[in-house]
Amino acid sequence: MAEIGVGIDLGTSNSCVAVMRGGAIDVLPNAYGEHTTASVVGFKSDGAICVGNSAKANIIHDPKNTIYSSKRLIGRYYFSEEVKKAKAICAYEIAEAENHGIRIKVGDEFFSLPEIGAMILREMKSIAESRIGQPVHKAVITVPANFNDNQRQATKDAGRIAGLEVLRILNEPTAAALAYGFGKGLRQRVAVYDLGGGTFDVSVLEIGDDVFEVLATCGDTFLGGDDFDDRLIDLLADEFSSRHGINLRNDLYALEKLKVAAEGAKKALSIDPEVEIRIPDVIHGAEGQALSIERTLSSEEFSGLVQDLIQRSFKVCDEALQQAGVVARDLDGVILVGGPTRLPVIRKAVSEYFQQEPQADVDPDQVVAMGAAIHAASLVSEDHASYLLDVTPLSLRVGVAGGLAEPVIERNTPVPIEQMRTFTTFQDFQESVKIRVYQGESRQSEENELLGQFEFAGFKKARRGEVAIDISFEINADGIVNVVAQDRETGEQASTTITLSSGLSDLELESIVDEGRTARIEAIPTDDAGDALAPPPPDPRSEMVVIGAVSLVKADLGAGSGAAVEADALAPDEPGAAGARGAAEPDSVLEVLPDEEYSTVSAEPEELVVLAKEDEDADLSLPEETVPLEAVDAGSADLFESPGTDLSEDDPDEGGQKG
Amino acid sequence: MASELAPTEIVALARLIDELDYYQLLHLRRGASISEVKQAYHFSSRAFHPDANRHLSANLQAAVATIARRITEAYSVLRDPGRNKAYLQHLEAGHGVRMQLSEARAEAGRRAVEQKGRTPQGRQYYNLAEAELRREDFAAAARNLQTALTFEPDNEFFKAQLKEAREKIR
Repeated sequence: MAEIGVGIDLGTSNSCVAVMRGGAIDVLPNAYGEHTTASVVGFKSDGAICVGNSAKANIIHDPKNTIYSSKRLIGRYYFSEEVKKAKAICAYEIAEAENHGIRIKVGDEFFSLPEIGAMILREMKSIAESRIGQPVHKAVITVPANFNDNQRQATKDAGRIAGLEVLRILNEPTAAALAYGFGKGLRQRVAVYDLGGGTFDVSVLEIGDDVFEVLATCGDTFLGGDDFDDRLIDLLADEFSSRHGINLRNDLYALEKLKVAAEGAKKALSIDPEVEIRIPDVIHGAEGQALSIERTLSSEEFSGLVQDLIQRSFKVCDEALQQAGVVARDLDGVILVGGPTRLPVIRKAVSEYFQQEPQADVDPDQVVAMGAAIHAASLVSEDHASYLLDVTPLSLRVGVAGGLAEPVIERNTPVPIEQMRTFTTFQDFQESVKIRVYQGESRQSEENELLGQFEFAGFKKARRGEVAIDISFEINADGIVNVVAQDRETGEQASTTITLSSGLSDLELESIVDEGRTARIEAIPTDDAGDALAPPPPDPRSEMVVIGAVSLVKADLGAGSGAAVEADALAPDEPGAAGARGAAEPDSVLEVLPDEEYSTVSAEPEELVVLAKEDEDADLSLPEETVPLEAVDAGSADLFESPGTDLSEDDPDEGGQKG
Repeated sequence: MASELAPTEIVALARLIDELDYYQLLHLRRGASISEVKQAYHFSSRAFHPDANRHLSANLQAAVATIARRITEAYSVLRDPGRNKAYLQHLEAGHGVRMQLSEARAEAGRRAVEQKGRTPQGRQYYNLAEAELRREDFAAAARNLQTALTFEPDNEFFKAQLKEAREKIR
């Protein structure tokens, strides 16, 4: 049997798996015939795990055990803005782990984010296996172009925990461009406008037959479809508050209902110019009476709510075009990626911005998985058919004296690449240096993302500036960073593949893989073809959002398209919808979790292990300039300095007195 | 279309890599156009991209990766006209075959500023000279460049322009 490699689009809201065999690309449907599967993991009281729409259906009546949008948290530090935001709005429990990592607490168990990702990947793997009819061990997994090293590494770990060999971590817009241009012999410049559930990316590519060269990529990791939902949630909650004097945001169940209704209304607006939002019994009033929300929402009104978000995305487009050195009219095509780009308000704005209609024959929900599948097929065969020349989305920096971060590899530099810089000591007789590596666009080190830090010692003791430390910074084709420091005189080396923020060491990863607790996913009973024997669980949106009867008989809903599936799911007369009504009823009202205070000053990542490197081919070309490297104890105000760390031996002042 | 390179060729190239300048690495002549640079980058990537060489042994893959990293480095410097010129100067000054990307970038930026003139008077006289050069009035251009140089005596770009203008007079 020929070896199979699949492409998996691990999305914030939905995931998709595809395979290319014999030149044909198939997006593989789950047991219920859906081409995308909700990226939601549900933990049942009996310990079983379910993934997908069946888990999502529980979002209202079991919000604490239903984990959604976990991609927003993967590879992040506990103290980051994104985690604070998630803690304020998510009903599930986000706990702090070692090294400022994050764990999701479910019952008595703590799960790392790569494990949650692995559960979704396992589900996608099993969908692929049941549809292809043979085991799948290899995959290309896509990530937003703007993912930093921590997030890429954590995603790769998720693949490994799921029992997959990750052939390549591929940028979503690059995958989309590959799916668009593969095998067509194009010579074009294209832009990919990728608005996902949680992130926005835009990439400008030059396609030259079999070569796909990314000229520039820019993004906003805080802009996504979820923000569009939030605008709608705010509108509904504010209106409710002024009418009934009750803040729905303070009630977990009511908030989940608002979320579900807002997402449903947004999706319905992709098809219909007007939707009716109905949330019966959203909360109980002071006298115990049931209060509801009923309201119509027009496309124009929605457009007004989100216009500034769309304009924000064009600021990012301006930047990408400028970095690529092209103007909008140079482009031969615009490819839209991500569910929110189905919204007419976005399509219209995008065609005005780029002065052309976006490509119509690209499915925004499936194109990324298709591109990943093409690349996976190409990587498992020896007959390589396309070449992806990507760039690093963020500047790679090293911390230097004075709390500054010196750029080593600028953003939008092609990868794989290696750069060597020479640094020197900051104090007389300094015995060790702490090397901190950052990604980001700020000169101030604390405004960038810390990828990792390691201590380097063993060089000769000398006056400040007399020691030369060569540091090699490498970014591989996955966008993953490797750093090696070497003393020019002694040849002593220290290196790290930076893995701090996934919070998982190789050892931990091994034990997670051995424990196999991500494997206890409940299988959906299916026939030999992989189709479910029982009907899917009802979509909780079906009772909340009613789209006009006109849209349901609209003839232009292409069969099998995502829009048609959505319309079906939203039909008020869907069988099973009535049954769900009772189940979705809240039985108690919970207090909202207090918004905790986080102090970034208290952030202290644990010491990184310094790995000895035996066989690195040291490059001995010697750049002339040397930059003073921060002493271990210098800059104690630095965000990641550990005040409690025992570094007394290395105290540079002590050394100075001796001299 | 996978790499057709013999293992011995890959190993030899990886070993030689610190002796090849970026032009040699990409099989370009010095002064090649930007579109030639891009073409050469695409051509070399087809042979040396890590994706295209997964079937090789670990040692050979490491050699290919070394070459691939240097190819992207070469492309990153040569694809920009300013950086390309800065690299030529770097080579001619005997500073070695590699150039830091940050250095190339800074140097290109410095050159861009220098070309317009760093002082108001320098800029003013250079603008006059530039117009005269376009009219092919080399004598007048040389006078104005001479004046511009009194304000910016170390402006290499002005010096080069002056030299060229004087050659044209003869």
